[in-house]
Amino acid sequence: MLKYTVKRLAQSLVTILLIATIVFLLMRCLPTDYYFTEEQLMKFTEEQKYAALEAAGLTDPIGTQLLHFYNDLLHLDFGTSRRIQNGASVVKVIGKKFGVSMRLGLISAGISLLVGIMLGILQTAFKDKVFDWIGTAYTVFVNAVPSLVSYSLVLVFGSKYLGFPTLYSTRNVGPSSVLPIVCLSLASIAGYALWTRRYMVDELTRDYIKLARVKGLSSSEIMFKHVLRNAMVPMVQYIPQSILLTVGGSLLMERFFSVPGMGPLLTDAIQRYDLNVVQTLVILYAALGIVGVFLGDVLMMLVDPRITLTGKEAAR
Amino acid sequence: MAKASDFEGKKQDELFYFVDYSPEEAERVGYSNYSYWGSVIQNFLKHKAAVVCLFLFLFLVIFSFIALAIGKYDYQTLVTDSSLAFRKPNSEYWFGTDNLGRDYWCQVWYATQVSIRLALIVAVGESILGVIIGLIWGYVRKLDRFFTELYNLIDNVPYIIYMTLIALVVGQSFTIMAVSMIAIGWLVMARRVRNMVFMFRDREYNLASRCLGTPLWRVLTKNILPYLVSVIILRMALSIPATINLESTLSYLGIGLGIETPSLGLILSKVRGFFLDYPYLLVFPASIVSIISISFYIMGNAFSDAADPRNHV
Repeated sequence: MLKYTVKRLAQSLVTILLIATIVFLLMRCLPTDYYFTEEQLMKFTEEQKYAALEAAGLTDPIGTQLLHFYNDLLHLDFGTSRRIQNGASVVKVIGKKFGVSMRLGLISAGISLLVGIMLGILQTAFKDKVFDWIGTAYTVFVNAVPSLVSYSLVLVFGSKYLGFPTLYSTRNVGPSSVLPIVCLSLASIAGYALWTRRYMVDELTRDYIKLARVKGLSSSEIMFKHVLRNAMVPMVQYIPQSILLTVGGSLLMERFFSVPGMGPLLTDAIQRYDLNVVQTLVILYAALGIVGVFLGDVLMMLVDPRITLTGKEAAR
Repeated sequence: MAKASDFEGKKQDELFYFVDYSPEEAERVGYSNYSYWGSVIQNFLKHKAAVVCLFLFLFLVIFSFIALAIGKYDYQTLVTDSSLAFRKPNSEYWFGTDNLGRDYWCQVWYATQVSIRLALIVAVGESILGVIIGLIWGYVRKLDRFFTELYNLIDNVPYIIYMTLIALVVGQSFTIMAVSMIAIGWLVMARRVRNMVFMFRDREYNLASRCLGTPLWRVLTKNILPYLVSVIILRMALSIPATINLESTLSYLGIGLGIETPSLGLILSKVRGFFLDYPYLLVFPASIVSIISISFYIMGNAFSDAADPRNHV
């Protein structure tokens, strides 16, 4: 197991390095005009622009820049932000936003796990009855309709009839986080409910369930001890990943409610040519994703002892 | 061949009995009038909700042309007049006016056409590209490693980086949007097709085909592709709501379509600040975009069930 973990971690490092390189190169495709604010772009002469770029090391050949970048990475130096927050270290910039996104994300992940799986269980229990149809209608609606529309509906309903604030504010954190959390949870509840129902319904027709019923187990015992546990095996893999990625925030939701979180940071940083922020963010997301998949595999192994990681080839 | 009437009069325990030799019966070949696409359509038509959705969608497309033709204003010649802002729907402005006093009816229907066109183009484009690459990826062993690495590289960089970069470097227009969405969207389809091809490529009948010297493209299109139809159709149908969703998100963030090509997403993002006070600004575009997305979702699921040969007969 240890050997496997080490091997997998080493592979992940290579992947992360590759991703960082690609993003590094992609960002160099951006015209250097974005390096300057509009005001600077108007005022500066060509020589001044060139001097500024040269001072930032952006006129060096790509190879040299890349070597510098690797060197900094090796020392875990992620550089400083330029226009998002002038001169502050990137770690600090991200650290500030990180907490806001994570708090909203973790609450919503907890709610959606609980509600989504409960909904799935109830749908299975009342299969082909009214409750099942309502649940299916909900999942179809949330999956099909663009998030922008469902967010708008939540916003109108929540602010007009329930009186919650329409925008997030740091002075009024409690009530103003209600609508963002609801919006975040909508889709993931639907996801969990859909897959819980799907796997449980598949599991219900198995022979061992018939045996359990013949033995005289109560239906709630069958549902929770047998069907749910087995249905959770394929789902459990995605849970750590979805919890970890809450840190990244939700781009649309955070823009929609003006939450000062991580979501819009990436696009903002690209548009303002804040290269260090972009690179660090991408490395962070990639690392979180890879760790999430790994934890998911471990969790799957714990839930279902028949599964071993070392026996077969890894997924990634 | 024994018919049910032959058994009449015979004892119950007499399960087997001799029949006389008849040359016609001996020459008879098993025949069924099974046709794959016939069964698909038959099964699809049995799904009432999906048929309703199909008609709803067709009606919406046709109506969007009628609506633009009978509307009192033309999208291209709209003028801003803030004294006319926020008129509720009335006989002059059927969907009311927006914050700049422009007719909302023609904006909404024009945007509907743009959104549907974009979604259809992207869905078809990424399916074609995805299926072709997926077939090659799955069938040609030597290329598997290359495509897998390519997939990992493209897939691991957040798509928002590509989209932002494309918007900044190349520009924002309908064509750029469609091409860039296809360029990233084929990944999912290709991967699915590749996994299916992996399952079928070494079945005995394909082995036999290869031994008999069937050319590669024929093995791919005649032996393997039919198994993939249901997966492809489902993915294609679901990519339409997904495209509309992605487009509206990107437009909301300002890196989607340009301002001069309105889409439902762009309209929704434009009225974000006003629809709390003027709900009609939200209701019309939101309900149209919901109808399109939900009908494709339901149709896609129904059609993929119908296209699965295991559900036939």
